[in-house]
Amino acid sequence: MSDLLSGRRVLVVEDEILILMMIEIILEDLGCQSVTGAASVEKAVSLIESQVYDAAMLDMNLGGEDSSKVADALSKRGVPFIYSTGNDRRDMTERARDHAVLYKPFREADVIDALTQLLS
Amino acid sequence: MPNNDSKSEDQKSAEAEVEDFQDDLGPFVVAAETTRMAMVFADACEKDNPIIFANDSFLELTGYAREEVLGQSFNFFMAHIDDEAALALIREAFEGLSEIDCEIHYRRKDGSKFWATLFVNPVKDDDGDIIQYFASFVDLTAYKDEQAQSRMLINELNHRVKNTLATVQSIVSQAARGNTDSQAMRKAVETRLFALSRSHDLLSREKWHSAGLVDVIHDALAPFGAADERARRVEINGESIRFAPKAALALGIAFNELATNATKYGAFSSDAGTIRIAWTVEPSSTGRRLLLVWTEKGGPAVATPLRKGFGSQVIERGLAHELDGTVQLDYRPEGVVCTMNIPAPESEIE
Repeated sequence: MSDLLSGRRVLVVEDEILILMMIEIILEDLGCQSVTGAASVEKAVSLIESQVYDAAMLDMNLGGEDSSKVADALSKRGVPFIYSTGNDRRDMTERARDHAVLYKPFREADVIDALTQLLS
Repeated sequence: MPNNDSKSEDQKSAEAEVEDFQDDLGPFVVAAETTRMAMVFADACEKDNPIIFANDSFLELTGYAREEVLGQSFNFFMAHIDDEAALALIREAFEGLSEIDCEIHYRRKDGSKFWATLFVNPVKDDDGDIIQYFASFVDLTAYKDEQAQSRMLINELNHRVKNTLATVQSIVSQAARGNTDSQAMRKAVETRLFALSRSHDLLSREKWHSAGLVDVIHDALAPFGAADERARRVEINGESIRFAPKAALALGIAFNELATNATKYGAFSSDAGTIRIAWTVEPSSTGRRLLLVWTEKGGPAVATPLRKGFGSQVIERGLAHELDGTVQLDYRPEGVVCTMNIPAPESEIE
């Protein structure tokens, strides 16, 4: 199943470095070719517009800012993505409908499952 | 609402009734008129229960003039006049049957809406028949605002807790990767948890508005003895500047990692080493920037590590990633030099 992820270029939009570093390790262990981090809406959108990604992981909230502009940019470029969030499950109706959501803290297996489903 | 010429017969008779009513109940009406509780009397005998008396507080609450209210149906200012559930609640209140607070969504003259609790006392005549309803309204605006505010705070707290748990998870998993010895792993986890905890303490003291850079540095270095015997070996030099919570947390983590490295391999690993932390705030094309240099001297000769550990990565990438800054960590033989360039607040944060 990790074959699906090997050689992939993944964008991780997450504002906290420690959480990003953990996700990077998980993805690198799965054989992803590159893992790029972005902490702000502005940075993420500019990366999405200039680089090619096979998949993305997007925190719903970036330093207090809603990340839906990043979701729009990803959709526009046809990059499949999953959400991550520190929010409560009960608050997640709208956006969780179309995309898988990882609730923090999440397990390595949750990340693998969600990305595998996303790319298969 | 109508001027005098266009007043309907109903309106005129309602007003006449109010005058009688005021004559009958003189002192009581004065009390009702001057209380801060919004009150009306409604006619129980007529269809739609027209309002026959409204006090000043009611007019203030709803924004209507008295002549616009008198003669109107009791429910005329409901936000949703066809709200069956609310109408049922009001009917129950009229019958004196209410068992729960009767919260009704109302609309002011200017169109804005508000919630109020409705209390109704039926007024009976000598025969025991209900002739009037005496109704008072408690404005729930402040209460509803507080409720919304506390919901927001709970959501925000929940969000922070979950992110903090994920951060702790990251600290533990990286420590497990970097250390085969369980004691060393425990120490690596502990040091970072305590650093996080101290940064939170600092921000709590400042009510999560901001934190001063000097305080951030002092708090990060304190557990490394910088408060006592090593204090004279640390020089801090820069103008007072305050950072928003997010930046203060990121800086706290970076200084903790620098101090950890200094204690293991650098200036704090010998008796004579010194650390100088100096900064200036400079204008740039992208706004004001903090230029800070951490310089270690007098410690053992420094060699560039073969592999970048978790700590060095956090130092170099943390501020760059979270604050859109640049950080350079130089392993010079005479001592580590760390240069930070991060956005500084445009104006002084209070």
